Amino acid sequence: MADAALVTMTIAELAPKIKAKAISPVELTDAVLAQVDRLQPSLNSFITILPEQARRQAREQEAALMRGEYRGPLHGIPIGIKDNIATAGIRTTVGSKVFTDYVPEEDAYVVSRCKEAGAIMIGKENLEEFAAGSTSNNLHYGAVHNPWNLDHIPGGSSGGGGANVAACVTFASLGTDLGGSVRGPANFCGVVGLKQTYGRVSQRGLLVTSFNGDHIGPITRSVRDSALILQAIAGYDPLDPSTVPVLVPDFSALLGQELRGLKMGIPSNYYFDIIDPEVETAVRQAIAALEALGVEAREVALPSMQYAGALRIAGMADSLVTHEPYLATHRRDYGPTVLYRTLAGQFVLGRDYAKSLKVQRLIKEEYARVLQDVDFLVTPAAPVAAWRIDMATVVLGGTAYPVRGPGAGMTARCTSPSNATGLPAMSIPCGFTRAGLPIGLQLIGRPFDEARLFQVAHGYEAVSPSRQRRPTLVDAGYKTGSTA
Amino acid sequence: MTIPNETLQAMIRSYHGFALTDDELELVRPELENYLQEVEKLRDLDLASVMSGRLLRAQEGGES
Repeated sequence: MADAALVTMTIAELAPKIKAKAISPVELTDAVLAQVDRLQPSLNSFITILPEQARRQAREQEAALMRGEYRGPLHGIPIGIKDNIATAGIRTTVGSKVFTDYVPEEDAYVVSRCKEAGAIMIGKENLEEFAAGSTSNNLHYGAVHNPWNLDHIPGGSSGGGGANVAACVTFASLGTDLGGSVRGPANFCGVVGLKQTYGRVSQRGLLVTSFNGDHIGPITRSVRDSALILQAIAGYDPLDPSTVPVLVPDFSALLGQELRGLKMGIPSNYYFDIIDPEVETAVRQAIAALEALGVEAREVALPSMQYAGALRIAGMADSLVTHEPYLATHRRDYGPTVLYRTLAGQFVLGRDYAKSLKVQRLIKEEYARVLQDVDFLVTPAAPVAAWRIDMATVVLGGTAYPVRGPGAGMTARCTSPSNATGLPAMSIPCGFTRAGLPIGLQLIGRPFDEARLFQVAHGYEAVSPSRQRRPTLVDAGYKTGSTA
Repeated sequence: MTIPNETLQAMIRSYHGFALTDDELELVRPELENYLQEVEKLRDLDLASVMSGRLLRAQEGGES
């Protein structure tokens, strides 16, 4: 099979062919590594590329197949890992100069699970310094570029993963999401990003982060693939107290079931208050498409969201405490955007920190009430599409909002509330701007009800204007080039 | 509302914080101003009664 045909397939399409030995993990890995060689100079999506290890793993997985030891749908599938997730024997920089030579002794729990499932690790993916931002313009390792337009950001902080999955460099990425860092890059790069319920997936081995609200989640090219990755990494980890010992269901069980009879909530405040008109139009059209599929739309009010900005206060203090030991010894190794954003946290009063946690509780209760009446919520994934890498502010409704460093927060305003509530949320493509940049829809579900989100997202995916489209640079190097 | 540099410098000294020059404090200010604005919005919000009892629905709560 030609390389172009191989790298543009989804995991769900590849898995039965690998199981039937019609596609070899070695052949697939070679095709992916060729794609890495071709696109890394343009995308800068990896910090560390692992060709020898990937080929060795591919040979091992192929040998296992030949012995009749098929390990499931991730068997022989090349994936990327964000470089703040620990990998044994492979340096894990957290996108920082501080950790530039750090080599963990153990794999993160999710990395172990993916290896057990037969996945092949292609490399460690570029990100915002310390995963603290939404541009993936990394001072130390260079900016990641959006495959739809190389002058634009891919989103962050898991920008390398978003760019790689969209550009058909990898079939999936494991990213991390403390305020939207999986859903943001997925949105800006036109692919699928999932932040599952807090406690569904172990965070053990996720480096330099807050205990409050971080998640490891998948970026994929299809909803079905997202369910397959979650299936591999979900579950109680006795060594991570944040995980919850609940049943892990078949996340693909509801895929293909009709949506008629479901109820969606459309927030009447907050999510559409600050938004680019092109984004709002695309999201409203997606809502209409869901109605056409039989979903009942109900307007819902979330009045406590007027205080959502206060959630950031706890985050400021958490971030300061997280970085304290490194700031004490490696301050000069920090880039200015992360350094000064983090140091502001030392002025947060304990009273305000406690109030922030109370607001978090208030908002969680409000979502819990609303989700008694509807099955899921629909919102934009971000107020704007990907902006140019060199932009420091984005203007919306006549107001200039900082998009990097101290004061930046507008870009994550649609995603970060779900980190505070812990509710599952996913970003799926719902169209493009006139400039050809992806727009994303966000679905927010009930706790531990990811299967329902997958059902809805999968139903919408089939009618989305983004379906079957991919960046032109994916095919530019192949004679069979086509964007459909 | 804003906090003068002298107050911030005194906080750093008194609470063993990370030293910042006045020029560096200007770089921190956008984040600090956001924080103060959000605190200001909370001034009239009664958070004292935020507790799990708020989740009870009438038909489940019964009478006490």
